[in-house]
Amino acid sequence: MATGPRRRRDAEGLALTLALLALAVLWLLPIVWVVVTSLKPTENIVRLPPEWIPWPATTEHYREVLFSSSRTARIGRAFLNSLVIALGTVALVVLTAAMAAYPLARMRFRGRHLVFAVLVGSLMIPNAVVLVPLYVLIQRLGWLSTYQGLIVPEAATTFAFGVFLLRQFFLTMPGELEDAARIDGANAWQVFTRIVLPLSQPVLAALAIFAFRSAWNDFLWPLIAVNRPEMFPLPVALALLRGAYAAESYGPIMAGAALSAVPLLVVFVVANRRIVEGVRLSGLKG
Amino acid sequence: MTPYLFLAPGLLLFAAFRLYPLLEGLRLSLTNARLGRASYQYVGLANYARLADDTRFHVSLGNTAFYTVASTLPVLAVPLLLALALNRGRLRNVLRSLFFFPFTLSVVTVGLAWLWLLDPVVGPFNYYLRTLGVPARSWLADPQTAMWAIIATTVWWVTGYYLVVYLAGLQDIPRDLYEAAALDGAGGWRSFWTITVPLLRPVLLFVVVTHVIGSFQLFGQVFVLTGGGPGDATRTVVQHLYETAFQNFFQFGAASAMAWVLFAIVLVFSVLQFRLLRGHTEF
Repeated sequence: MATGPRRRRDAEGLALTLALLALAVLWLLPIVWVVVTSLKPTENIVRLPPEWIPWPATTEHYREVLFSSSRTARIGRAFLNSLVIALGTVALVVLTAAMAAYPLARMRFRGRHLVFAVLVGSLMIPNAVVLVPLYVLIQRLGWLSTYQGLIVPEAATTFAFGVFLLRQFFLTMPGELEDAARIDGANAWQVFTRIVLPLSQPVLAALAIFAFRSAWNDFLWPLIAVNRPEMFPLPVALALLRGAYAAESYGPIMAGAALSAVPLLVVFVVANRRIVEGVRLSGLKG
Repeated sequence: MTPYLFLAPGLLLFAAFRLYPLLEGLRLSLTNARLGRASYQYVGLANYARLADDTRFHVSLGNTAFYTVASTLPVLAVPLLLALALNRGRLRNVLRSLFFFPFTLSVVTVGLAWLWLLDPVVGPFNYYLRTLGVPARSWLADPQTAMWAIIATTVWWVTGYYLVVYLAGLQDIPRDLYEAAALDGAGGWRSFWTITVPLLRPVLLFVVVTHVIGSFQLFGQVFVLTGGGPGDATRTVVQHLYETAFQNFFQFGAASAMAWVLFAIVLVFSVLQFRLLRGHTEF
């Protein structure tokens, strides 16, 4: 008797799932279109009606943006620059944020509430507000068009969020292991590096991904802080690539755009759960 | 001593490259500093006073405000509707990942994809509209539609992020609340308004505040898609700030004044939203 309504609910659920799948495919069509375009020979790109299967396919646009010696197509170099900048930012943020979050979560000392309040309050500072004075500072340090001129400000921007995220996690860790290590004579630094950090790998990974994403994708700061083309990170190189080619040569531009998505796609496939967890922690406790 | 040693490297980084620039910006806003000029004088509030007559700044502010207001409802509602649908059906995690993917792209990549998609002559979007009988338009070159195209691009870009946030929030709502409501005869619509919305309030607050802070800094989409045009139809505050400081006149003092006006607006909005939305959280 009860199977009737249940079967109907199952059918509704299936219809909903199929509808959502169709919507997801539709949602991703802009990205599919980028990849499809990047694989077409130039003369096929602007053909109407739009051809969704790139046949015959070619890798000429990828070869051009990666290996051509022309001044405009320096995506290969920009890709390496972005990797250095993003990985450098990750290392700096994870290290400094973990070190700062640990005492804020686990030790009692004067000023810790103030420090934490200032850090959380700073999350409201729009990046655009510090743009000009940061430029003046980096220029005075002689860091324009250098990796450190991109890494250090990028890390400083993500630092407060990192402390916030890691402190949240450290607060929930059981204290027994740390106590046991301390009884065995370990000092605070040893407890931190041998007990706390290994136990925090998931949240450290979440922070690393978050920092990688923001550094890899940041546009406004490198647009200002770099004026030598060989030091451009990918977003800046891509934006300028667009200006360098005539409007109809979408091939190289789309090849560059597709390449820029690869590292995070890899991270995303490998560590999907960490990303979701990171977003969840950042969103809900915010 | 130990806690301070642990804190020192991070706080040094933070103080030198985050706090100091913030305050230095306030100081610069009171001067006539320019790029490449060693000396400058204090000019009091002259930079702020001049903003009152800077029509381009007013237009930019108006555009930014329009964008913020017009994009908030779709940014709030589209991911929420998706989250409600995903939360009930199967393949929840797969679908979540698919919708999330655009958020991993840089604003430039997103902008280039949409630029090509919306191309007035050879872009697929206009082609399919034409087959449906809708005349082709230059969406990005028409002052009537340019900002809406930027809003659509942004919604597409960030929906996956807020979807994940909403799904996490929905997971924290106890199932039995809905069951109890169903026993009391409440339909889906009523339990949405009496259970989901009130319990999701902190999440909604987070989404609105995050989005509004981000909206006031709109730059990358505009830089790639329209360059601020047609005319000044999509010029934003950050773009005007960027051009004032680094493109046309290299006026660091004036640009710093804009930055602090922007900061003040963001602060006022954030506090207002916290007040408005938090006031109802207790029940």
